[in-house]
Amino acid sequence: MENVIVTGGSRGLGLGIARKLATAGYRVIAIARREDEQLTRAIRQNEPGKQGSLLFRAFDLEDTSGIPGLVKQLRKEFGSIYGLVNNAGLGTSGILATMHDKKIQSLVHLNTLSPIIFTKYVVRSMMADGGGRIVNVASVVSFTGYSGLSVYGATKASVVGFTRSLAREVGPLGINVNAVAPGFVETDMTEGLGEQERAQVVRRSALHRLVEAEDVGNAVEFLLGDKSRNITGTVLTVDAGNTA
Amino acid sequence: MSSVRSRILSQFRSVAKEQNKELPPLSDDLVLLDSELDSLCFAVIVARLEDELGIDPFSASEDIEFPVTLGDFVKIYEDVAT
Repeated sequence: MENVIVTGGSRGLGLGIARKLATAGYRVIAIARREDEQLTRAIRQNEPGKQGSLLFRAFDLEDTSGIPGLVKQLRKEFGSIYGLVNNAGLGTSGILATMHDKKIQSLVHLNTLSPIIFTKYVVRSMMADGGGRIVNVASVVSFTGYSGLSVYGATKASVVGFTRSLAREVGPLGINVNAVAPGFVETDMTEGLGEQERAQVVRRSALHRLVEAEDVGNAVEFLLGDKSRNITGTVLTVDAGNTA
Repeated sequence: MSSVRSRILSQFRSVAKEQNKELPPLSDDLVLLDSELDSLCFAVIVARLEDELGIDPFSASEDIEFPVTLGDFVKIYEDVAT
């Protein structure tokens, strides 16, 4: 069974991705600070003996100095790491001029620095083991501007740049690196959207509907599988045509 | 030959073969820049040696400079291993 790490896999989009990958037959290790009850339920629902499994390991990704030790521990416990899904992130919004410096630092730390450092140590293990797949969760905000999301947008744009250059760097070693760019997905991160805003997103989407976590999970599953073996350095947008 | 040295040389050969690089003879005075191995190859070698030997001298200290020769490379590992 191939091991895939999903950061921020305890709830919302990360949990949707983790569940989809477990159903697809991967051993999914969900990393988050706490085991959310949504994840606990999902682990219980994942029938034992069926292909694929879902596990949780607690870790605060803000603790970048602890990442090397975590990756070592995961390899020792589970064996080679086939895939990494960098999903964990903060969605803090706010007008830049009045956003606290600490909030800006937290956003950049968790959304940009932590996934880069996590990837460094996982990619080292993939280099040693001869291959792997990395999927970074970017956002439509990586490419399109939204008032109130300048810092979030900056961090998600950094994910795209990171994806493309890392793909070039490790491609010769059989490691594919791609990104998915979800649009507005119905999760905790977007629950702040009012009815009017939600209706506006739906109206502006070519398919006139919101994206679900499962849709993003499907895209990640594709990017981890055999059928995407010649896809690397790219961004797969999953937004029901909102940015078309 | 020390076990550390033999493992290092073995990894140099394995990675060169995997990456279709033709290695010159592996002597202590071989300048690594002339070895045909690029920075990616060295990254793989360092990652695999960390798995085998449990050490990565280059991550342990920010001050350490990448060695010039193969002999320097082996010495860095032997010093940390002892």
